[in-house]
Amino acid sequence: MTGSDESLALHALRCIGFAELSRVADAAGLPEAEAESQLIDLAVAGLVTRTPSEFGGWGLTEAGRVEDARRITGELDATGARDAVAAAYEKFMVLNPELLDLCSAWHLRTVDGVVASNDHSDRAYDARVLERFVDLDQRAEAVCADLAAALPRFRRYRTRLAAALDRAQSGALEELVDSTTSYHIVWFQLHEDLLATLGIPRQ
Amino acid sequence: MNWIHPLTPETDESPALLGGKGHGLVALRRLGLPVPPGFVIGTHACRAYLRDGRLPEGLDAELVIAVQGLEAATGRRFGAAQRPLVVSVRSGAAVSMPGMMSTVLNLGLTTEATGGLAAETGNPAFVQEARQRFLTSFAAAFRETTDDAQAATRPSGMAASDDAMDQLRAAVCAVFASWHTPRATTYRELHDIPHESGTAVIVQAMVFGNRDEHSGTGVAFSRDPNTGEKTPFGDVLFGRQGEDVVSGRSTTRPLSELAGREPAVWGDLLAALHRIEQHYRDACHVEFTFEAGCLWLLQVRPGGFTGRAAIRVAVDLADEQLIDRRTALRRISPQHLRNAHTPRMRAGDGLDVLARGRGACPGVAAGRIAVTADRAARMAADGPVILVRPYTSPLDMHGLAAATGIVTSRGGPTSHAAVVARAMGKPGVVDATALTVDVAAECVRAGERVVAEGTVVTIDGTSGEIVIGNLGTATVTVDSHLNRLLDWADEISGNRSQRPDQERLIAAHARL
Repeated sequence: MTGSDESLALHALRCIGFAELSRVADAAGLPEAEAESQLIDLAVAGLVTRTPSEFGGWGLTEAGRVEDARRITGELDATGARDAVAAAYEKFMVLNPELLDLCSAWHLRTVDGVVASNDHSDRAYDARVLERFVDLDQRAEAVCADLAAALPRFRRYRTRLAAALDRAQSGALEELVDSTTSYHIVWFQLHEDLLATLGIPRQ
Repeated sequence: MNWIHPLTPETDESPALLGGKGHGLVALRRLGLPVPPGFVIGTHACRAYLRDGRLPEGLDAELVIAVQGLEAATGRRFGAAQRPLVVSVRSGAAVSMPGMMSTVLNLGLTTEATGGLAAETGNPAFVQEARQRFLTSFAAAFRETTDDAQAATRPSGMAASDDAMDQLRAAVCAVFASWHTPRATTYRELHDIPHESGTAVIVQAMVFGNRDEHSGTGVAFSRDPNTGEKTPFGDVLFGRQGEDVVSGRSTTRPLSELAGREPAVWGDLLAALHRIEQHYRDACHVEFTFEAGCLWLLQVRPGGFTGRAAIRVAVDLADEQLIDRRTALRRISPQHLRNAHTPRMRAGDGLDVLARGRGACPGVAAGRIAVTADRAARMAADGPVILVRPYTSPLDMHGLAAATGIVTSRGGPTSHAAVVARAMGKPGVVDATALTVDVAAECVRAGERVVAEGTVVTIDGTSGEIVIGNLGTATVTVDSHLNRLLDWADEISGNRSQRPDQERLIAAHARL
């Protein structure tokens, strides 16, 4: 292993895709300076690149993807966490369709038998959707706890999901589904992380 | 019988008791249409089960009698080695909750029955596949209710039972218990469906779409749900069961291909759609299976068309004198009018349709195809791009951000890709199963057809169509059906002044 110090930043990029420094740091749970230093080391090793463009940022190279898979598999085997992560993944996949239903309900709603975009003029409806997010989050918390117990790096998701929900409950409703730091986006990344960690192809 | 009602023309219970699906099947039987024999366990049995944690008194005895009736109707024996009876066990609430509750298929395929059916059909591979599907759907039905409060009360050890009646009892409990899964609860919360109503359970003799080369399954609309035009529309899957579509293991074909491949089935289906329209006085949608060249209807749903299609259907039905003009007006809500103004792809003859998926985010987008997120981000500098992926992962987000429109070949309207498309407000089409993305060859394939990256396509996030070329959009300014409907509205309101469409409709509604 070529020094696993910067594994956190490498794996964060594997799960979130192209991103600016601040998002890499947030996903990895590192101070920005530390995240940047890791990214630079990774770039020197040819595992990540920085693309300067409107849709650019830091991203994984093919070599970086292979190296991340090697490290993640090694970590899973060394810690003996595979069964626990696989069991948590099963529970996650029970919650996943419900979360996607909720995200869809946030954008679309059936009025007079017609599916229409939710224009957010009905506060009671939005409050109902938010309430269901909170309810689901309580069940998600148990899955996150199982994951964190199996592999400490998963702890970060609980923090990020709770933070997104907090922001939404404080009135920043775009933090449910619409922003790049939204509950859905963090969930989507957790989904990707579980698939990557267990080596399961996305269906 | 107190809890159980046969699927026969004589059954006269309400949709609240039989569930929407069961009630529709009874209606089909009354119309003399082919429905596999079966029976419905009423929603009141579900309520009793959810209240007491066990099947209500007397249900078990009725279940035995109902199965005997099914054996008599089919000339088969449940769980027997000789001519075994195989059934499906499906949920069906008063208000449809699609995909929220459990279904068990091919139940009754015990070890003995599996051997018997293999000998009877001379097709052991088909029977093994059916048995596997039973085990999978049975296990899934239990898994879904495992974390549920009802879990403690569900019969244990049934998953391994090799007794057909035990399997049936367990499956009925599993379907009842699935009413309370958190996902179903959330669905009801969001759609204003009462939590206490419960689901019916429909038990029917199985018909097998994977039986032989003259078998298959599909969905059919009596009219085109995108336009309202009076042309049957839908998908068919040859030689497979319906679940294969959902699992993405098979590719559907346009319904019209049935005409050439199974003309007798096609003829029967058209006649059935006509009969059903006459009965409901509305456009309709059926799920069907054909087994060895014989058509069976598994579900019917009237109406459900929206926007321009709903308007056209209402006007056409009035012209066909199936409904009067007042009824036509009553069927169109202001919401349909709003929906009718969503930008759509310019229609016309000779459209080169590459594939058809499902609309995930309304709107029209045209651009060059990119098959990876990286290339979409690069190509976007030179003009609009349509990102085409099998599915999306967070690694595609920069490509999604760069693209003008999004297409996926898998996933449904509630996939991550669909959610992200709506979050970004970009027209999106998902579940375009005919497409294969070939990243190495930098192209998209649809059957024999190869479309290179960079080819310009137009996508319609309402209808799910993907068409070659830049077609541009059309918002309805002149729509003869809409204009006629609004003329009828003015006749009723007696007000012919110039004003917005919605006001014209609402004024008529006030007088209906």
